[in-house]
Amino acid sequence: MVNSKAWMVISLVLTCIIAAVALSQVYSITRPVIDDQAAEALKASLSEVLPEAAEFAELEPGTVWSADDAAGNRIGIVCKTSPRGYGGPVTVIVGLDTTGRITAIGIGANIRETPGLGLKAREAWFRDQFRGKTESEVALKRDNGTIDAISAATITSRAVTDGVKQAITQYSHYLSR
Amino acid sequence: MNPAKILMGAFLVNNIILMRFLGLCPFFGVSTAVETSVGMSAAVLFVMMLAAWVSWLLYHVLLLPLGLVFLRTAVFILVIAGLVQFVEMVLKRYMRGLYSALGIYLPLITTNCAILGVTFLSIDYQFNLLQATLFAVGTALGFALAIILFAAIRERLEDAPISPSFKGYPIAFVGASLVSLAFLGFTSLFGISL
Amino acid sequence: MTNPPSRWQYFTSGIIKENPVLILMIGLCPTLATSVSVRDALGMAAATSFVLLGSNLVVSLIRKVVPASVRIPIFIIVISTFVTIIDYVLQAYQPALYRVLGVFVPLIVVNCIILGRAEAFAYGHGVFDSLLDALGKSAGYALVMLVMGSLREILAAGTWFGYAVTPSWFRAAPVLFMIFPPGAFFLIGILKGLVNRLTAQKT
Repeated sequence: MVNSKAWMVISLVLTCIIAAVALSQVYSITRPVIDDQAAEALKASLSEVLPEAAEFAELEPGTVWSADDAAGNRIGIVCKTSPRGYGGPVTVIVGLDTTGRITAIGIGANIRETPGLGLKAREAWFRDQFRGKTESEVALKRDNGTIDAISAATITSRAVTDGVKQAITQYSHYLSR
Repeated sequence: MNPAKILMGAFLVNNIILMRFLGLCPFFGVSTAVETSVGMSAAVLFVMMLAAWVSWLLYHVLLLPLGLVFLRTAVFILVIAGLVQFVEMVLKRYMRGLYSALGIYLPLITTNCAILGVTFLSIDYQFNLLQATLFAVGTALGFALAIILFAAIRERLEDAPISPSFKGYPIAFVGASLVSLAFLGFTSLFGISL
Repeated sequence: MTNPPSRWQYFTSGIIKENPVLILMIGLCPTLATSVSVRDALGMAAATSFVLLGSNLVVSLIRKVVPASVRIPIFIIVISTFVTIIDYVLQAYQPALYRVLGVFVPLIVVNCIILGRAEAFAYGHGVFDSLLDALGKSAGYALVMLVMGSLREILAAGTWFGYAVTPSWFRAAPVLFMIFPPGAFFLIGILKGLVNRLTAQKT
């Protein structure tokens, strides 16, 4: 009976149905959690670079947000770029005030850089160097700029710096509007 | 994204074997001779392109519109396994020459995680069909480059005086480490980010 | 009453004698790719163990009603179901770990050890024995991941589970090489060589 032709087909179909039903259940339970988490993580990463803002309104999907105060006035923008570091893309989040100066930068948690080295890009001393700078000042010292590179992690340092620069050139036009 | 960058990125910068660690089983299993490595590479190129097309179409035409993305893993692995068997049958029947060249490598490909990995990555990177194709071609060429280079090294290792406990796999790993070190030099080549 | 020592062996054989990675040389890709730090390595081992336990359990439960001719597709469906479950669970509840493991979570489906155990063991044994077998193989895999992850993290960053365990002069200039793919290849080569030497001495 187990090896009959009919059972062969039925057993396969049954397995597929059971698997599909089980997975759709798992999916419907986990999907909202995954979405919430993504939304929360995004909000947290944006507030980190512009804590004064009360709301973030998306200007371009996934890349630029308008940072508004409680009254709804734009106090700056936050933009996101993903330059390539050593281990893969590094997400760089840049906050700009209305004059085009950097309020702070953040490095995304997706950083797959060398733990302890590239990851130093997330440390405050490296990120704080960007505060208050304008586009022309953002470059590593060895590239005639003002930023100290992380020792032994030049590629990561340069990736972050380039990402910040690119974010400013690409999105600062939103500030003038 | 720039097509040339996708191709070069998959070929050198993020070499599937030496940088991404996918497809290690055939890499170590088949790379004992240059000749078999060439055969395996050709089979991988062939199947990888087919798999990229089929999986891309399935995902964007069927799974995504129907809201069945959670079946991705199951559908892809079954389709690739089926595809390989189908290709083997077609080749055997209509293209004897190609079959005798690639035939023995085809069954090995079903369990090659590089093939499935490429189909998943194409979706994670949100490639369109052209980009997915280029990505598959670049990856397969990268696979070929790594495995053929490495086979040439292993052929020489055969006669090298190596301590018995390091013969075979251990010295192959150390050799792979050195080849991989060379590929590390391609990091950030042309500013490719993938 | 079956013979207890032989059952015990289902568990122990997977740890050293038939260690999936160092002896059977399967599942190399995730081992090398995700052993950058101990935490990631053990996370990968846990995810793989979940799938192996689940697949061995279900396969041993349904083995009597599965037609021999279509058993492989059925096993693959069972395995990919468990892989998708752990994929979504990690995404929802361990997002940081999931980001590191990335594509290697869905790729557990092609880890030869899982289909291998379903076909070679669970299809012919009862539920209890199959679970023992899965636990043993998982323990063997976790052991390798623990060793690889620990060595790579300590050598490349000077930390273990994120805690500094080496002097600060070492952490200032660690063996960075270990974090990169070449370091992983090098380390597994040395480990395999050591295992070869030890097993050769025994026999």
